[in-house]
Amino acid sequence: MITVENLHFSYGREPVLCGVDFAVQKGEILTILGPNGCGKSTLLRLLRGVLTPGAGRALWDGKDATHVGRKEMARLAAVVPQSSQAPFPYPVSEMVAMGRYARHAGFLGESAEDRKAVEKALALTDTLHLVKRGVTDLSGGELQRVMLARALAQETPLLLLDEATSHLDLDHRLEITELLVSLNREQGTTVVQVSHDLDLAAEISHRILLLAADGTQAALGSPSEVLTATNLRKVFRVEVKVECNPYTGAPRAYPVRSCHRWKQSPPRIHLLCGGGSGGELLRRLNLAGGEITVGPLNLGDSDQVLASVLELETALEKAFCPFSEEALQAARTFCQQAELLVVAPTVWGPGNLASLDLAREALSRGVPVLLVDPRSERDYTDGKAWEMLQSLHASGGQIVPDAEGVLDLLKAKN
Amino acid sequence: MKLRQSLSWLPILGTALIIALFLSLWAGALPLSPAELFAILCGDRSSPTHAAIVLKIRLPRALLAGLVGAALGASGGAFQAVLRNPLADPYILGVSGGAALGAVAVLTLGYSSPLLLPVAAFIGAGGALFLVYWVAQAHQGSSHTLILSGVMVGSLASALLLFLLWMSPADPVRSAVFWLAGNLNMVNPDWLPWASIWIGCAFVGLWRQSRALDLFTQGEEVAADLGLNVGSSRLLLFATAGALTAAAVAMAGLVGFVGLTVPHVVRLLWGASHRHLLPASALLGAAFLMLADALSRTLLAPAEIPVGVVTALIGAPFFLYLLRKRENG
Repeated sequence: MITVENLHFSYGREPVLCGVDFAVQKGEILTILGPNGCGKSTLLRLLRGVLTPGAGRALWDGKDATHVGRKEMARLAAVVPQSSQAPFPYPVSEMVAMGRYARHAGFLGESAEDRKAVEKALALTDTLHLVKRGVTDLSGGELQRVMLARALAQETPLLLLDEATSHLDLDHRLEITELLVSLNREQGTTVVQVSHDLDLAAEISHRILLLAADGTQAALGSPSEVLTATNLRKVFRVEVKVECNPYTGAPRAYPVRSCHRWKQSPPRIHLLCGGGSGGELLRRLNLAGGEITVGPLNLGDSDQVLASVLELETALEKAFCPFSEEALQAARTFCQQAELLVVAPTVWGPGNLASLDLAREALSRGVPVLLVDPRSERDYTDGKAWEMLQSLHASGGQIVPDAEGVLDLLKAKN
Repeated sequence: MKLRQSLSWLPILGTALIIALFLSLWAGALPLSPAELFAILCGDRSSPTHAAIVLKIRLPRALLAGLVGAALGASGGAFQAVLRNPLADPYILGVSGGAALGAVAVLTLGYSSPLLLPVAAFIGAGGALFLVYWVAQAHQGSSHTLILSGVMVGSLASALLLFLLWMSPADPVRSAVFWLAGNLNMVNPDWLPWASIWIGCAFVGLWRQSRALDLFTQGEEVAADLGLNVGSSRLLLFATAGALTAAAVAMAGLVGFVGLTVPHVVRLLWGASHRHLLPASALLGAAFLMLADALSRTLLAPAEIPVGVVTALIGAPFFLYLLRKRENG
C-alpha cells in the first residue's frame, strides 16, 4: 500500500529521521512507537506528503506521496490528530460533514451519499446523540470521538492516527481502540498509528515499528518480536521485564528501573529481611538501581519469592528451617562484599536471630548498618533480639523510619 | 437526523433588513409620517419634493449603507475564518491603513474629485493587502505571520499618513479626517449600480468557497488533510474578501466594528458554518449599517455624525460585553 524507502528528514540542521525503511501492508494495524521527539509525527507527515523528505521517498502504489494531490490524498487516508481545539462553534453534524470535502465538489447541500457516510460515522463512534451540540461545548473525549467520526466520514481505506487516544480516559481509549480493531477486521481498513502506549500497541497491532531517539529505525516486526527487553533498553533506556498479558497473550513490558540514576556507581547493598518485611525495601532499592543481595531467607518466604522475581542474589535456606551455618556463611560472603547493610523491620524469632550477628560483624568491619524502624514488639526471643538491636544502635547502627528514609540517605551520599 | 443547519436566520434577518431600510428612509431632516412614506414607496407622487427626497436622496444613501454593511459583514466573517481568529476584522491586514493612505494622498495632492477618492482608496487597500500577503507567503502564510505583517504594514501606512497630514494645508486634512471616520456622504450615487455588481460578484465568489472557509477554521494542517489545497485557496479567499473590503472602504471610508461584531454575533446565534454565516452576516451587516446611518443623520440633526463614530459607539460596548461574557463563560 505504502512503501517507505530510506527516508531521511531534518528540520534545518537537526536530523529527525535517518534511513527509515518499511512498507504498510493492506489490511494491517501498524503502530509506530518511540521516545518523545524521535520523529513519529514527522514520519506520519512524510507518509501523507505534507512534508518533503530530505532523501528517500514514500510511495503510494508507486506514486511519490508529495506528488499526490491534497484531494486525492484525502480520499486515500484520513488523519486523526493528537488533540484538537474547537474555537469555532460548529454543530457536531457540520464538523463531521467536513470530512466529505474531498468527496464532492458542490458547495451547498450534501448528497444522500454524504448524509449516509456522516450518519454511519456518527453511529460507529457513538456520537449520534451529540449531533446537535456545538463542538465548543464538548468534553475532550467527546471532541476526539467527533474527530474520529470526521475521519471515518472520509471513507478512506487507510486511517492515520497521531496519538489520537492519548488524552482520553481509559474507557474511551479502549472503546476507540476496539472500534479501530473492528473496522480493521470487518472493513479491512488499514490503520497506521503513532502511540505512546506500549501495552495497547502490543494488544492490537499486527506489526510495530520502533524508532530510536536519534530517528533511526530500531526494530520492525510483530509485537513479540519488537517489544523485547533488549530493544526497549536500547530505545527507552529503561530496564523492562517482558511478560505475557495472562488475559490476552500479548506481550507486556513492566518497567523495572531506569538505567542510569546514580552519579557514581550505585552502592552494593545487603538486606536482612524475611516474612515480607523487606518487600518495599527490595522494590525501591531495585528500582533505584542499586546492586542488592539478600539473605539468608527461607525458600518460599515472600521476600525470597520477590527477590527471585527481581533476580537478586540470595542466600537460601530450606523452607521452615532455622538458618543453618551454610546459609549464614553464604550471607556472610555477600555482607563482606557489601558497602551497606540494611536490617528490615523483621519479626525476630529463634530461627532467624543468628542473622543479626552478620550486622554486628559488618559494624565491626566499619561497614555502615541501617536499622529500619526497630521495635521491641517484633521480638519473639524473650528480649534477645531487642537487646541485640539496641547494641547495634549503640555501636553505630543508624535508625531510619522506612524505605523512603533509606533511599534519602543513599541519595544524599551519591 | 437533521444535517442541514436551520435556515431560521433568513426570515429573522430579512425582516430586520426591511425594518432597517424603512427606518433609514423615514429618518432625516424632513419629517414624514410612516403612512406618507409608505404611500411614496407605493408610487404616490402627489408631493414630488417629498418623493424626490425619499427616492433620490434617502434611498441611494440607504442602499449604499446596505452595500457597505453587507460587504464588511461578509468579508469580516471570511477573514476571521482564514486567520482562525474570531476577533479579527476586515481591516486587520493593513487594509485600513492602505486605503486611508491612498485617499489622503489624493486629497493632499489637491485632487478632490469624487471620482478619484474611491479609486485611490481601493488601490491603497489592495496594495496593502498584496504587500501583507507577499511578506507572509515567505513563511507559508501562517496566520500569525499574516496578522503580524498586517499590523506592520498598517503602522507603516499610518506613519506615512500622519506625515502627509502634517505636510498638507488645513482644508484637505479636515476632509480626510472626516472620510477616515467612516462616511456615507462622499460617494456619487451614480456609482451604486457598479458598486452593487462588484460587491455582488465578490460576495458570490466568497460564498462559493464556504466549505473551504469551514476547513480553514480547523487549522491549516487539518484543512490540508481534509483535501483542501491551502495555498491557492487562501490566495483566492484573500482576493475575494479583499475585494469586498476594498470596495467598502472606497465607498464609505473606515467604518469600524461592522466587520468585527456582525459575524461574531451571527456565529453566536446560528453557528459557524459559512454557507449560512456569510449571507447572514451580509444581511445583518446591511441592516446594522442602515440603522447606524439613520442614527447618524438624526441624533444631532441637522448636523451629521460620521457613521463610523456611530458604529463604534454601538459596536465597541457591545463587543466589550461579549468579551467579558466570554471570559466568564
